[in-house]
Amino acid sequence: MAEEEKRSTDRVVDGLKLCQLGQEVVVQAGERIVTQGETPEFFYVIQAGRVKVFRESVEGIRTDLTELSSGSYFGEVALVTGQPRTASVEAMEEARLIKVSKDEFDHLLDHNPQLARHIIHQLSQWLVVGDRRLESEVVHQVKLRQVSWFDYVLMIGLSIILALVVNIYNDNRIPLIHGWGQKSDVPEITLTQARELYQKNGAIVVDARKSAFYNQQHIKGATNLPLILFDLMYPLFQFTVAQTEGAKDKTIIVYGGSFSRRFDLELARLLKTKGMEHVVTLRDYQGWQQAFPLEGQEPKTPPALPLGIPGYMEWLPVGIFLLLLIPPIWRSPYLAVAGRILLGFIFVSFALSKIMRPAVFALNVVDYGMMPSFGVNLWALVLPWAELVVGLFLILGIRTRAAATLIAAMNIIFIVGLVDAIFHHLPINCGCVGEVGEPVNWWKVTKNAGMLVMCVQIFLYDRLFVLDRGGFTLRDRQI
Amino acid sequence: MKKDLLKLTAVLGLIMVCLALGSCGESRSPFAGKYRSVEPFAGKNYVDLELKEDGKGTWTHAGKSTEFTWMVNEGRIWIYTKTGAILIVTPGNGGKLLSADMTADWHPGCPPGSCVNFRRVPEGG
Repeated sequence: MAEEEKRSTDRVVDGLKLCQLGQEVVVQAGERIVTQGETPEFFYVIQAGRVKVFRESVEGIRTDLTELSSGSYFGEVALVTGQPRTASVEAMEEARLIKVSKDEFDHLLDHNPQLARHIIHQLSQWLVVGDRRLESEVVHQVKLRQVSWFDYVLMIGLSIILALVVNIYNDNRIPLIHGWGQKSDVPEITLTQARELYQKNGAIVVDARKSAFYNQQHIKGATNLPLILFDLMYPLFQFTVAQTEGAKDKTIIVYGGSFSRRFDLELARLLKTKGMEHVVTLRDYQGWQQAFPLEGQEPKTPPALPLGIPGYMEWLPVGIFLLLLIPPIWRSPYLAVAGRILLGFIFVSFALSKIMRPAVFALNVVDYGMMPSFGVNLWALVLPWAELVVGLFLILGIRTRAAATLIAAMNIIFIVGLVDAIFHHLPINCGCVGEVGEPVNWWKVTKNAGMLVMCVQIFLYDRLFVLDRGGFTLRDRQI
Repeated sequence: MKKDLLKLTAVLGLIMVCLALGSCGESRSPFAGKYRSVEPFAGKNYVDLELKEDGKGTWTHAGKSTEFTWMVNEGRIWIYTKTGAILIVTPGNGGKLLSADMTADWHPGCPPGSCVNFRRVPEGG
């Protein structure tokens, strides 16, 4: 079939030579003969050498259509249809061509039915091949853009499995649910009873929260014994109690529990194990602010520690805001690739800073006071692994649309947490980069918003360098 | 199916590499050793602090020991307790003195009243 077509084309070329039409031109390797979109003026027949036919999209994505060699011709489509050139043609090596003007081409078609039939045949062939190519490309693109529930199950499932397995072997492991199954043997008293004891000077009030929370606001005269430093600080507390007049007859009221962790209850239990009697907690454990006189200092931002490279990289997605103003760049799949690698690197590095010490991150989660106590440890275990897995999926280009939505969801949660902490003046560190004391402020919110925008861009326009359904998609894809 | 397995292997392999790289820190050697608090803590007894080369350590006060892990980050010692607290310890005088911030608020400093100072115990001493 191909042989027959070649012979037929040769006859056409021979016919052209006989008619002595057109003029012979020589083009050098890399020289562009025809440019997509320009007004057609000539029809070309290749006498020697090879040329490449390709198309370029507005975004600059080049698709190679075919290669032509001696005996082939090109440029006839635009001359027949009268439309601008549909593709560009470039010499792959030094080539000799016959360049036929539009008038000569029309004359040739009128007087050479063999050539006319051949061109019609060729155009029909192209139409059929084009249809097949279009179908194949549509199927590929549809597959590439598919987001299925399986993608989410895969990423979240992998994160949960890794989190649980690693936690078993981790020296710093934490229970899946903090305080699960522990029965409270600490007596509770009402706020009214506690206030009466306090007013009669019959109580030692102990704040079980972190120092920063205590410093910001506490019950007037309360002593701070942070639960998390109990082992180290108990002797000092014991010493303080021993110095207190009539300590033996006083009730120890422990407070400081929150929605996310009952610091008060845990500390009260520990004090009882140390032999301290008359230890009680408040029944309405969050109502102390309304029931007691308070003292404290003005809210102050915890000091920051250097964040390193990821801190600087976080600012790059913020720059994406500016790119919104430039639609061709905003829609660029290359920007999506850059965003994927950037977000992937940021999330992987953030995850690594938290993954091996879940207890530290769990306390960060508690600081925000938004997660119910039963979910704190599960969240602290799974979130860093989800950041790692999703970050790697983005970098490798696997299920990138689903990965982008998961990262966007994480960013929305982070933004909500940060804004809540800012409005409530919580004296906390961000906890975003593990143990680095990154302050909670509007800059941090802006960085997260930048990453959120980046996720939207990836979701909408990512399609290159993707190791996904349909194989690895490269820039110069042969269709 | 084979392709999916390859992808999964690639992801898991990268995770292992990331974890291996993430666990790298600064050398602990300059600060490994035994320290004792400059003053008695809580009105009685000194605190003995031992920082072992393998990243483990103990805080001993009045005969009671608490274990922890530690690492060096940007020249400061980070002590991690089992409960999730972090104490940042700032070395001074070439590692002969340590100032432990007992607020556990990740201060790079050591606020007065919440600071325990240690002095290195000479080897064999």
